[in-house]
Amino acid sequence: MKDLAFATIQEIKQDLADKKYTPEDVIEFYIKRFSQVDGKVKSALEVFDKESVLDNFKCHGLLEGIPGLIKDNICQKGRITSCASKILQNYKAPYDATVIERLKEEGALLLGRANMDEFAMGSSTETSAFFKSANPWNLDCVPGGSSGGSAAAVAAGLVPWALGSETGGSVRQPAGLCGIVGLKPTYGSISRFGVVAYASSLDQVGVFTRTVYDNALVYSALAGHDEKDASSLKLEKKDYTQMLDGKLPKGLRVGIVKTAFESEGLDKDVEALTKDAVKTLEEQGAVVHEIELPTLDYAAATYFIISRAEAASNLARFDGVRYGNRAKDITNLDDLYVKSRSQGFGKEVQVRMLVGNYVLSAGYAGKFYQNALKVQRLIRKDFQDAFSNVDVLIMPSQPTPAFEIGKFDDNKLQLDLQDYYTAPVNLAGCCAISVPCGFTNKNMPVGFQLIGPRLSEQLLFKVGHAYQQVTDWHKKHPKL
Amino acid sequence: MGKISKEEVKKIAAMTKLHIEDHELESIQKQLEDVLSYAERVEKVAKEIDLPSTKNINHDREDTAIQSDVQKILEQAPQEEDNYFVVPKIVDSE
Repeated sequence: MKDLAFATIQEIKQDLADKKYTPEDVIEFYIKRFSQVDGKVKSALEVFDKESVLDNFKCHGLLEGIPGLIKDNICQKGRITSCASKILQNYKAPYDATVIERLKEEGALLLGRANMDEFAMGSSTETSAFFKSANPWNLDCVPGGSSGGSAAAVAAGLVPWALGSETGGSVRQPAGLCGIVGLKPTYGSISRFGVVAYASSLDQVGVFTRTVYDNALVYSALAGHDEKDASSLKLEKKDYTQMLDGKLPKGLRVGIVKTAFESEGLDKDVEALTKDAVKTLEEQGAVVHEIELPTLDYAAATYFIISRAEAASNLARFDGVRYGNRAKDITNLDDLYVKSRSQGFGKEVQVRMLVGNYVLSAGYAGKFYQNALKVQRLIRKDFQDAFSNVDVLIMPSQPTPAFEIGKFDDNKLQLDLQDYYTAPVNLAGCCAISVPCGFTNKNMPVGFQLIGPRLSEQLLFKVGHAYQQVTDWHKKHPKL
Repeated sequence: MGKISKEEVKKIAAMTKLHIEDHELESIQKQLEDVLSYAERVEKVAKEIDLPSTKNINHDREDTAIQSDVQKILEQAPQEEDNYFVVPKIVDSE
């Protein structure tokens, strides 16, 4: 059997078409690789057995025989969906999320459940109630988060793709920290039916791969209208790989966000590598403009308020009554709620709910939340204005390279700044993709973001794919 | 800043249905106060904004009943009986 670690979806598809091996061989290879490598990386909460993966396998489709890992806040029928939380540790999903239905329909092999920050709240995967995941490039460092398990698995060559979810950067930041590609699609382009909610006005499913081409392929399987998600856009299904000819669109106007590079929290290596990426695109024919996004500095505060308020509201449903863990030794109904929730939720989640309820109750008529929504309008307008002058924007995906596990244990607010470059895009509702653009002098990967207007995924794939034709950062792999 | 009292923190915890240990009160009090600095920052900008609302678009659909397996849902319940979720007695009979 060929060594498939770090094989791309494109390669496996070709090999399967040439009958070099079978989907069953593929499952066997990757399950074995998990058993050999994941003891170090700890990306998966669970790897399924071969038989049950085959039971769900349909022999046709865009992703026929291609294995992937699913973030554990996305429901897979009959499997546990824990959100890396004790409160849901035994919860078995009674139905498939729409994205899972679509992946199965396209023949994907769903190998397991990826570790994450509890309820997607964090930027390091350290808040998982079960264990911390490691960055495959340096096992003492975090993979980023909240979709850290998904990112680490793809970076470690355990699967060629994985699903994550984003509220403020939970796909792009770990993609950057792990040296892979991460897509945050336009709000409403991928259904969230069956995805456990964090902050509903921002939540979106995202895709991890090692190449932009592969990312377009998985996105093609997922995107499109779903009547079960009220926020779903009336979007036709299409093949997003069709236009990928390896060339930049003629006269592409790239906006380098000047404001982003003036932030004092930006690491020097990250800054230099991101600027190198801009230079590369320029050499490929892009016309570079400097763009100001004056509201960038308000995004963190705005995001903080909106996300916490919506989280408090969404997570009120976990009460120990209908599903999830229920505390023992309870005397009355209120006791049942309080004990089940206090024992079931980790500290970070508890604090975010408390903060959220404070946001919603302080002042009058949700003044804090209403103000944040107002500033969100301004941020949206800022992005719209920018896109009247350029086709795509460029910013770093991450303020720093991956940091040591435990570094921010005493300074959570500092950890929140990991969202600095990503959350504005979620607030604006547009799409962005993080693409690897080099390594720091300590050999840690760095990614840059291509940001486009709403529903410009096709353009982002085209630009990202063209960039990957002249760079080889995505071909470098960690030694494990 | 010290703008939020410990009593307020307890009130919010009760509203959130969470139990907070006494030794955690101070740290949570501090984290709630961080919110105030964010809120003040946002409020300053918000005052000058006069833009139309940009709410996400929601599509409604017909509310049609579909057959589903009630047992599958009840299986997830910590305690159930005869098609019902069981909770401790709510009304005291004494």
